Amino acid sequence: MQKRSVAMFVVFATLLGGCIQGIQDSKKITSGQTEAEVTEKIVLKVFHAGSLTEPMKAFKKAFEEKCPNVEVQCEAAGSAATIRKVTELGRTADIVASADYTLIPKMMYPDYANWTVMFAKNQIVLAYTDKSKYANEINSENWYQILRRPDVKFGFSNPNDDPCGYRSQMVLQLAELYYNDSTIYDDLVAKHSNLKFVEENGIYILRMPKSEDINPDTSKLMIRSMEMELIHGIETGEIDYYFIYRSVAQQHNHRFIELPPQIDLSSAEYADIYKKVKVVLANGKGVVGKPIIYGITIPESAEHKEYAEKFIELIVSKEGQRILKELGQPPVVPSVDNVDNLPEDLKEYVKP
Amino acid sequence: MRFSFYLFLAVLSSIIVLFILLPIVATLSTQFYDFDGLLEALGDKAVWNSILLTYYAAMLSTLIAVVFGTPLAYLLARYGFPGKSIIEGITDVPVVIPHTVAGITLLAVFGSNGLIGSFSPVKFVDALPGIVVAMLFVSIPIYINAAREGFSSIDIRLEQVARTLGASPSRVFFTISLPLVARHIAAGAIMSWARAISEFGAIIVIAYYPMVAPTLIYERYVSTGLSAARPVAVILILLSLAVFVVLRLLLWGQKR
Repeated sequence: MQKRSVAMFVVFATLLGGCIQGIQDSKKITSGQTEAEVTEKIVLKVFHAGSLTEPMKAFKKAFEEKCPNVEVQCEAAGSAATIRKVTELGRTADIVASADYTLIPKMMYPDYANWTVMFAKNQIVLAYTDKSKYANEINSENWYQILRRPDVKFGFSNPNDDPCGYRSQMVLQLAELYYNDSTIYDDLVAKHSNLKFVEENGIYILRMPKSEDINPDTSKLMIRSMEMELIHGIETGEIDYYFIYRSVAQQHNHRFIELPPQIDLSSAEYADIYKKVKVVLANGKGVVGKPIIYGITIPESAEHKEYAEKFIELIVSKEGQRILKELGQPPVVPSVDNVDNLPEDLKEYVKP
Repeated sequence: MRFSFYLFLAVLSSIIVLFILLPIVATLSTQFYDFDGLLEALGDKAVWNSILLTYYAAMLSTLIAVVFGTPLAYLLARYGFPGKSIIEGITDVPVVIPHTVAGITLLAVFGSNGLIGSFSPVKFVDALPGIVVAMLFVSIPIYINAAREGFSSIDIRLEQVARTLGASPSRVFFTISLPLVARHIAAGAIMSWARAISEFGAIIVIAYYPMVAPTLIYERYVSTGLSAARPVAVILILLSLAVFVVLRLLLWGQKR
């Protein structure tokens, strides 16, 4: 009796195995590759901030041309969520790229990574489309007056989840200082939500409530977890304007106005001004205003460190910097945090 | 031979049950070691608000599904008409559409500039009706299929007899067919309610606020981490399990 059942299972298991093999075989045939090539194909996993989606696609293409035996798999999420995939969910990534380079030291050192290469910058712009209300009137001078109009709706991402979100808050508060109009943030955000800056010793601090308590007046503000999710909102005309990285606006062919460099977090020159605003996130972490610089690292647990290094080499090389520039994301001369831990091959690309 | 067949059934069944059970047990048991976190979440008003909102929105979506889905299910079960298979295909479409895409398509219809949203006095984006339409969209196939199965399973002669005795088609529907499929309808409604509760992808596109439980769980995960998200998930799992068991028992009792 028992023998029979065992035999049945063996048969069953063999059949099942056969099926799986069959499926794999058919895949090989369809992709037209020989068995040897398939077994050698290396999957390089890249977890990156949502705003890097377009550049990463371009890097993937360039890299796969250089190393045909590698398949680059990109996964976008908010920067903090991207890092948590590695630190909390225990997932393996070969590359982690964040829209705020400081998150890597804060959340990954020393157990999950121990160096960061800063490779690109960005700036916050106010983006819109032809269909946006007052699209023909708005400019870098009057943008906050336009946003004040009661029939104008605008959006930003959730400051608790996404660097673009807290940076948008910083920009609006810096606008108060720059235009010398202390009601900009109140009129645009504070009146329509539970977000509010308070001044403490010359520093303007926004203490974020928990996300469920932000309580936005949804007829004026649209908040989404990640900046990329606002794109549905702007493209369907749900909102008229949104705060976004210049690169994203350019890649999606949205119109945008550049804000004065004193407030748009783009320039190292004004770092001292940016420092005057601070956002304390609901999880207790504080972030001080500073120029937007992207960071990238190879996690300790990476499976293909060698190829990961090559991938970063591509990004910081002349070719990579050209790709970034074309996609509206100005590159920076790459610099590095914890240079001693940097893999040798990368050292020649970064400034000492 | 018979024994080996039973063994065959038992082994394969237990594998699939374990497959479902293991992740849930793992989540619950991890939470057990962080009991304080669970207590804190239990005392958190936002957690309860989001869970109640989820249940309420799912209930509204299920009610709409029952009211509008039952006649369609009856139609599909009883009548043949040109284009029937197309209608059947359409009702199943939400199952294959990725949830984010479902959300985007709903936004195109119910958004402020959408086909319906542009003139509707009801506001859908970032509001309860938006959550309900998202839930309805993804859960309606489950209800329609369950109800149609029900109508197909009743003996058509019962309806025919009633007709020969002079009952109008509508009277037959309401007094003969409907009571006979009550259990199927209830079971289908429970499943579609459950499916609505679990929806996340479509909801966050159209209504990030007010926050339903799945959005809150995701939110806690992104902003604070797994340790903050897990207790909320555990509460949702346990509570939904309890509701499920009770509803199933009620149904089962009715059968007796």
